[in-house]
Amino acid sequence: MPENTIISAKNLNLWYHETHALQGVSIQILKNNVTALIGPSGCGKSTLLRCFNRLNDLIDHVKITGEINFAHENIHAPGTDVVLLRKRVGMVFQKPNPFPKSVYENVAFGPRVHGTTDKKELDRIVEKSLRQAALWDEVRDRLTDSALGLSGGQQQRLCIARTLAVGPEVILMDEPCSALDPIATAKIENLINVLKQDYTVIIVTHNMQQAARVSDCAGFMYLGKLVEFGETRQIFEHPRETLTENYITGRFG
Amino acid sequence: MSEKFHAELERLKQDTIAMARLARTMLSDSVNALFLQDCAKAKEVVSNKRPLREMTISLEERAYQLIALYQPMAKDMRVIACILKMITAAERIGRYGKDIANMTKHLQDQPAFAEPLPIQHMADLVTGMIDDAVTSFEGENLDRIKEFPSRDDTVDALWHSIFRETLTFMMEDSTTITRSTYYIMVARYLERSGDHACKMAENIHYMITGERIEIK
Repeated sequence: MPENTIISAKNLNLWYHETHALQGVSIQILKNNVTALIGPSGCGKSTLLRCFNRLNDLIDHVKITGEINFAHENIHAPGTDVVLLRKRVGMVFQKPNPFPKSVYENVAFGPRVHGTTDKKELDRIVEKSLRQAALWDEVRDRLTDSALGLSGGQQQRLCIARTLAVGPEVILMDEPCSALDPIATAKIENLINVLKQDYTVIIVTHNMQQAARVSDCAGFMYLGKLVEFGETRQIFEHPRETLTENYITGRFG
Repeated sequence: MSEKFHAELERLKQDTIAMARLARTMLSDSVNALFLQDCAKAKEVVSNKRPLREMTISLEERAYQLIALYQPMAKDMRVIACILKMITAAERIGRYGKDIANMTKHLQDQPAFAEPLPIQHMADLVTGMIDDAVTSFEGENLDRIKEFPSRDDTVDALWHSIFRETLTFMMEDSTTITRSTYYIMVARYLERSGDHACKMAENIHYMITGERIEIK
């Protein structure tokens, strides 16, 4: 295993009731890389993403076998603090979902839950997170306004700032741009490129051009299996597997 | 949308094959016209320069349009990259044909050689390489381009041999200088056309396998 592996899954299987949604998936996510997961709807890419911070635990009748290691520790080991895991492995969802609170409170919420009460420290975290999410200049004068008044693209960047505020190591993004217009999408894509200097990003996307633009490594999933995983350039220029080739050239079905 | 794209890509591929075959015919016809002193045939070759140019421009524009509209990836991207390189090589080959055809009228009144030069043989080898490159592109099969390095070596050797032999003729008999000089140019154009066939083969190899090779 490469030394800079931050998350690895080994022979991971997941069932929703009888449905075998992930079948023997093994993958290694490298630190400070952007990894994209692509594949048709229902192939298991979001399910895999949600395994990395145990979000699937919240769904009934889910059974998981295999192993997932984050920072060399098994995340399913007894005694794992799931709240801490989700702090270290944050998540940004498909649809921007800010809390019905002010811009400031949205970002300060996480640090408060994790015990930061000092106002000055909270101010510092809010500004730093909003700056990292490339949103500060647009909202610095409206920190007390409702977050619901922001545009869709701004709301999504606010959600990224909210994730950054608790100091994660990995950011999981599940179709973060699918509800956004092209300009807002470009802003998020630029942001992903900047974020990888400090964080590891794993992104699920339907948009193959986006996967090709933003990621360093890419994995193609089909019917619960990880068909091919490699450097993005190789996957999009000359994939090894015919299935991958057929999918990315639109010859599917 | 993807069906439309793939249908257009297939049409682009077929038209590229037609364009490359026109260029190849211009080259072989020009050498035939030169040796048979067939001025009508030579004129026909020259007249093909315009349609060849128009086909090149149109194919190029259609390829750019497909890139802009569909952002092709993997094999589709490699097919378009190969087409763009193929048409450049094919146009050069066709233009060498036109240049050779233009020599026909200049050679009519020039004294002939006692010893025939292997130019026709060289032309057969080069057109054979172009045919095989185009067939390989059409069928996406590497078999016919496998031997290109050694075939190109043979063409290069013939070029050097014709060059040396023609110099000897010129030194022995100055009345052959005009014809000799033209023949050197013909041999050089054929050697260059062989190199263009090799470039086609390199790009076809990339299109089929995704790996770059160099034919030396």
